[in-house]
Amino acid sequence: MAPAPDFVLPSAAAGPLSLQELTADGPALLVFVSEECPTSTLTLRRLAPAVPALQEGGLSVAAVFADPLEVGARTARRAGFSTTVLSEPAPYDISRAYGVQTVPTAVLVDPTREIQGRIVGWDADGLQALLDNFSPASSPPRLTRDEPLRKPGCAAKCTLDPELVARLDAAAPFDELEEMFERGWTDGLPVIPPTPERVQAMLGGRDGAESLGPVPPGQGEATLERVAACAVLAGCRPDYFPVVLAAARAALKPEFNLNGQAVTTQPAGQLVVVNGPVRQAVELNGGVGVLGPGQRANLTIGRALRLLVSLTGQGYPGRMDRATLGHPGKLGFCIAEDEETSPWEPFHVERGYEAGQSVVTLIACDAPLSISDHRSQTPEELTRVLGWAAAATWSPNWWPLGAPSLFVICPEHAEMFRHAGWNKDRVRQEMFAAVRRPAGELRWGETTPQVLGARDEDLIPKWTAPEDILLLVAGGEAGRYSAVLGPCTGMGEKIVSEEVRWNS
Amino acid sequence: MELVSPFDDRRRIPEPLAPRPSELAGRHVALLDINKRQGEQFLDRIEYHLHRAGATSFRLTKEIFSKPAEPEIIRRIANRGDLAVEGLAD
Repeated sequence: MAPAPDFVLPSAAAGPLSLQELTADGPALLVFVSEECPTSTLTLRRLAPAVPALQEGGLSVAAVFADPLEVGARTARRAGFSTTVLSEPAPYDISRAYGVQTVPTAVLVDPTREIQGRIVGWDADGLQALLDNFSPASSPPRLTRDEPLRKPGCAAKCTLDPELVARLDAAAPFDELEEMFERGWTDGLPVIPPTPERVQAMLGGRDGAESLGPVPPGQGEATLERVAACAVLAGCRPDYFPVVLAAARAALKPEFNLNGQAVTTQPAGQLVVVNGPVRQAVELNGGVGVLGPGQRANLTIGRALRLLVSLTGQGYPGRMDRATLGHPGKLGFCIAEDEETSPWEPFHVERGYEAGQSVVTLIACDAPLSISDHRSQTPEELTRVLGWAAAATWSPNWWPLGAPSLFVICPEHAEMFRHAGWNKDRVRQEMFAAVRRPAGELRWGETTPQVLGARDEDLIPKWTAPEDILLLVAGGEAGRYSAVLGPCTGMGEKIVSEEVRWNS
Repeated sequence: MELVSPFDDRRRIPEPLAPRPSELAGRHVALLDINKRQGEQFLDRIEYHLHRAGATSFRLTKEIFSKPAEPEIIRRIANRGDLAVEGLAD
């Protein structure tokens, strides 16, 4: 037995930690390791499954890396080692004081801070015996018996020429963007690291502890701090945050049934439609290329909401999100309506808000289907072209849809309706009346109970009612391309709106 | 680098699974229909085999498949059933 030298070292999760703190409630197992050493990684990987039971049994476990803290944390995470990670900088006096010549070296320190034993390299039987003898638990966990049971370690950095150590450390530079991928804090694209300074700037004085409630499907709590972290990751500017918050509040309304949307095999994403003065305030695009790339506010606000679902809500694609195909809008899907060009009342006014209010509306919907029509001479013709494009949405034989279709009407098409004096109701009624098919032509593959119960000649409409036809105006001034976005069906979800609050 | 996590890192303690029964005879089995198309056909077949194995059964139906089961449904399964079978279908 020998006294264990005291130390205070930076830790990955809890600030500086001392040996005294580690041994405050029982013995501690210190595992001296380094990133370059495969045996160190092997040891952490083999020890990792036993760590929760060891800690519950009263034994602290800590990895002491002879590497920068970020490198140690990343190496531990890759090995599935999720407990205390400490970092000892050069010149490695603590490793030297513990007599570490090889990594890994596991050192068991009792609560009186005496060294009770050590295992050098990977030695499954030796480590098991050490744990059996000194773990306070009545039945310490068993380490797996996978081969290899023994493996020699590597020279500890404290034994090497300092110049060689400097070159080793330089070979493993820390890259903060790669770090985000390592942590899984991403949707697959690079993200902005959510440093405390950036998150505070995003919060803009709001209370980060305030909660918007649990986020489906994993029910992680949407504190404002986490929503702000998602907004930073997404690349939002702080002035976008009120829009992100409104979208999050809307998405978490029970009637939106985000739970069903987040886990379904359907492709649907959450489209954020923005109306009112906030569009100009944050430079949201409702014009040329509105459904595509090019505008930071559109792309990052939509992305922030999707990251909230994927990360805070744990609805990550391929894990709890089981979408068979998905669609590109699930990266982020946010548009503004071009209220100034529209011949009609804005989308949010239709939903009961005042024109001067800034409002987000969330719609669960599929990818856009472009509708080219440069030849219609009358609104009747145009209505049929637009409406029949929706015939194949969801499924070509699923009539009526039982869910809404969203038409994004381009300015040139909107102008034809303006010129004819057609209001939204007129367009809806004409489209609803025009898009019908005999049941006998729909009776194959996936079809509805209404089709199956009808006579062959009965005309079945594409929608249950004209109100399921949603219309808004957006897009570039030139080109006669509108679009229809199919629905998410069967979720029982409703379209939801939320006013943008500037200061809360 | 200090970072603010977007995750809710609170550790959830999983509910321990109930002991597995060694046989089905004499067990009362809850058959939960999640209200998805053709789910009842699957449960009909399960019920047929359960009855042949000497079990009895009762049916419950969720309001809609895409939302968590109502607490009352879970309470009834827990109070009345020895086992539960949930049918996912389409």
